[in-house]
Amino acid sequence: MELTDDELAAAFRAGDAEALGLLMERHKAAVYGYLLRLTARQDAAEDIFQEVFLKLVRNPAAYGQREKFRSWLFTVARNAAMDYFRRQGARGEVPLDGQGDLPGPVDHAASPEPGPEAAAGNKELGEKIEAALGRLSREQREVFYLRHYSGLSFKDIAEMSGLPIGTVLARMSRAAAQLRKELEKDVQ
Amino acid sequence: MNCDNGEKLILYAYGETDGVLRAAVEAHLGVCGACRAELAALKGAAAYLSAVPEVRPAVIEAIMRAARAAARADKGFVFTWREALLSGALASVLAGVFAFSARPAGTELAWNSGLDAGLDSVEYSVYQEQAELGSSSGDWDYKYSGLEDESLNVRENA
Repeated sequence: MELTDDELAAAFRAGDAEALGLLMERHKAAVYGYLLRLTARQDAAEDIFQEVFLKLVRNPAAYGQREKFRSWLFTVARNAAMDYFRRQGARGEVPLDGQGDLPGPVDHAASPEPGPEAAAGNKELGEKIEAALGRLSREQREVFYLRHYSGLSFKDIAEMSGLPIGTVLARMSRAAAQLRKELEKDVQ
Repeated sequence: MNCDNGEKLILYAYGETDGVLRAAVEAHLGVCGACRAELAALKGAAAYLSAVPEVRPAVIEAIMRAARAAARADKGFVFTWREALLSGALASVLAGVFAFSARPAGTELAWNSGLDAGLDSVEYSVYQEQAELGSSSGDWDYKYSGLEDESLNVRENA
């Protein structure tokens, strides 16, 4: 039977280092995807990803099981990302293409390799979606990405962000309206 | 066109509606093109975002190295309850083995510590007491032997 997140976290606290490996395997795609989207930089996303899990390594009791592990994980990831932005002195913007030799979201959206016409269509649609996401406000993007990657409920996100649930839903609703305006002709 | 079902549509799109609200939103979607387009845009963006690059293995490995090192360091001075029980049991066994099989070493130890000399002293004191008691007993016999003689004379004269 598969161990729960709480059981793995407890095993790690008791000294089983491999339990952390299983926790990472379970959540790495969501956390890394969220951080990559938020920072739009592979190096920053990797640094923050390490920082999140090393926090648990340095203090295994940091996760006190008062909330769901995934909720705790995304709270730490979000806070670390906010610290990163504060250190950078500016909020990250989602680029339309990869930065230098780093893969960007559009590059990745075009894979796995479809036929030439489909690839061109995917790339074009990807660029439009990317542009539409880029035009969302910072608050709308934060909530949108958090909900998408964490899979947490809006209620959990409201608690994590210290916002009323009505505010969270309103931001999401405005984001959806904005995306509709931008993508109405392309996404049916 | 805007309608005031935006937040309900969001809850519906992310599967956070109960049966009643879900039915109400689905009924609304049948008559509202703007909400249908909004839902389609949300799904399109979500599908696009679901393509996430893998974390590089070197990043994961660096975290695991730190985790293993921390676990090893913790084991140096922190015992789990199983380890504590095991070490207690081991200490008891070793104490038993020492008590029953290491007599010569124990005697030697007692000699070197002066314990043997102390025991000799106690033994000597007991001997002295016995001798003194024997002497007292002799005095007692001597002191009261006269009474016995008198008692014998009385019986003979009677």
